[in-house]
Amino acid sequence: MTTYTVYKEQLPRLFEKWSEAHALYVPARLREGFYDLVPWKPGLEIAWDFDVAYNSPKRFLLPPRETLITFNRKTCEAAPVFEAPAQILFGVHPYDVKAINQLDQLLETGAPDQNYVRRRAATVIMAFEPLTVSPSAFWATVGAATAAHGYDLYWTKIGPASFTVEVGSQRGEELLAMGGPLLPATAGDKEGARRAKARIVFKARRSGLRYNWEETPRLLAKCWDSPLWRRYSQMCLACGSCNLVCPTCYCFDIREEADDQLEEGIRYREWDGCMLESFAKVAGNHNFRPKAQDRYRHRYFRKGKYIYDKIGELGCVGCGRCVRACTAGIANPLKVFNELWEETTHEH
Amino acid sequence: MAKPRIAFFDFAGCEGDQLQIANLEERLLDILGHVEVVSFREVATGHSDDYDVAFVEGSITRPEDEIRLKEIRKNAKVLVALGACAAIGGINCLKNFLAENVYREEVYGSSARWFSTYAARPLKSVVKVDAEVPGCPIDPTEFARITKELLLGRAPWISDFPVCVECKQAGNVCRYEMGKMCLGIITRAGCKAACVSQGAHCWGCRGLVPGANLDAARIVMDRPGTSRKAIQDLLRFFLGDTGAAL
Ligand code: SF4
Ligand code: SF4
Ligand code: SF4
Ligand code: SF4
Repeated sequence: MTTYTVYKEQLPRLFEKWSEAHALYVPARLREGFYDLVPWKPGLEIAWDFDVAYNSPKRFLLPPRETLITFNRKTCEAAPVFEAPAQILFGVHPYDVKAINQLDQLLETGAPDQNYVRRRAATVIMAFEPLTVSPSAFWATVGAATAAHGYDLYWTKIGPASFTVEVGSQRGEELLAMGGPLLPATAGDKEGARRAKARIVFKARRSGLRYNWEETPRLLAKCWDSPLWRRYSQMCLACGSCNLVCPTCYCFDIREEADDQLEEGIRYREWDGCMLESFAKVAGNHNFRPKAQDRYRHRYFRKGKYIYDKIGELGCVGCGRCVRACTAGIANPLKVFNELWEETTHEH
Repeated sequence: MAKPRIAFFDFAGCEGDQLQIANLEERLLDILGHVEVVSFREVATGHSDDYDVAFVEGSITRPEDEIRLKEIRKNAKVLVALGACAAIGGINCLKNFLAENVYREEVYGSSARWFSTYAARPLKSVVKVDAEVPGCPIDPTEFARITKELLLGRAPWISDFPVCVECKQAGNVCRYEMGKMCLGIITRAGCKAACVSQGAHCWGCRGLVPGANLDAARIVMDRPGTSRKAIQDLLRFFLGDTGAAL
């Protein structure tokens, strides 16, 4: 892949150009210790050293609420609604790129989710090598330190005012060229990017799984009856925060509302989550995961086994968002998997 | 088919919920076009006892309220509790934590013995309630939706998950991560986490979510820098009639 060198002073012009035809989102500081991708505007200070975007990028591809169809009650006609604004997500860390790649696989296979597919096609992903690691993150030990694909451009900050930009797609290269002639990266600059990556991965390994992540599905298979599930889930508020902040959780519920004339209506979807008490409730009020313990265990099986069985990766990219979001302090794949590991090793 | 006849009633409350409905303005005309309003103090005068749906606001605070409420129940095919006071007792229940002579004196002064009053309670403590429009005040768009669902003969839906869900949808920074308290963890959603989105925290005005884990919530709220008294005050503010308030 071609790699170019870009200087900080070129950015305002690039951003200006890009924002003419795209909604452009960049990392910024919300308040001390909190960062997020926010709409770019001239003069906005970019938080290059953001440790994690507070809200995961899935909201740009699978919005919290989205209209799917409009219908007419009288004529019984319905029409699909597709919204797919052209957007650029500038500053997506590799673990979040991996999460998007997972969504792509899970939502595009079988009966493709047309709303997702269209939004995704209209979205440019500009990956960014992290400069800091969130205290609750463990992405380096769950196979999510590197994203091999899924980005249009991959930015690495190699100096106070310089970046290498690796091209991931033609669309990405064209966007980069809007800033003027492109400067191929020197061998030294590429080496700088390689070192930046090594440095951050080393830092990120400070906390992580105590075993090879690929063991997780086998580990879980042995732990269905572990006392851990009950111990932790006693504190569960069934608030769904761990699901909703997770970049790889994609469940939604579907509802309808008629207009005030009671003639037309919309069907829309809203984020849902398997930790909510009513998630597994079906007709006749039967709930096939009625206890907090069942739901809690299900989520870790989903992250550590079910997704793996489908696509060969963990359903957790180690972003640490759920760890932070859980007010009860129990959502923590790292802790749960490590404790199960200890539990089973001590059994011998 | 004849239009359903609807009526509005109020007990102890501020009539803020009926005002919220009046605030729907043009939308109100469309929605009320499907019904015949036989009694609505906020927008019209006149009254009739012949109605299908009764929207009842306010909590029950006097023995004689019960007689009137039971009468309404008898006349109405569908009885809807409108707002926190009617649905969960709401702030009126604050007085339930005071000795009776204390609140009677406070409210009526030296003429206290002329007035009857007892512990405040929600409508459901007295009669069967068919549907609820929660909140203090109610969310006019939710009122509109629930009314439309009733008109279409569907079971009105109110959310059965905590405010945190809508708070996360809104992308707010969690109050607990800012070292503050918030009742979103045990409160029924449906307000789009209005108070958190506006910079405050949840007070629990929509009542407890079904299955609220109160034991866990008390542990979560009990953090360094938070007094037991502050936790108790917050839990009593709207949730006085529930098991949350100790
Ligand atoms: S499970 Fe938690 S740590 Fe893993 S990807 Fe989801 S939010 Fe991040
Ligand atoms: S965030 Fe914590 S308390 Fe809420 S549902 Fe998840 S595990 Fe339970
Ligand atoms: S601020 Fe309150 S409502 Fe929002 S996530 Fe935190 S506890 Fe839940
Ligand atoms: S955030 Fe809480 S207090 Fe505010 S409107 Fe919603 S339920 Fe009521």
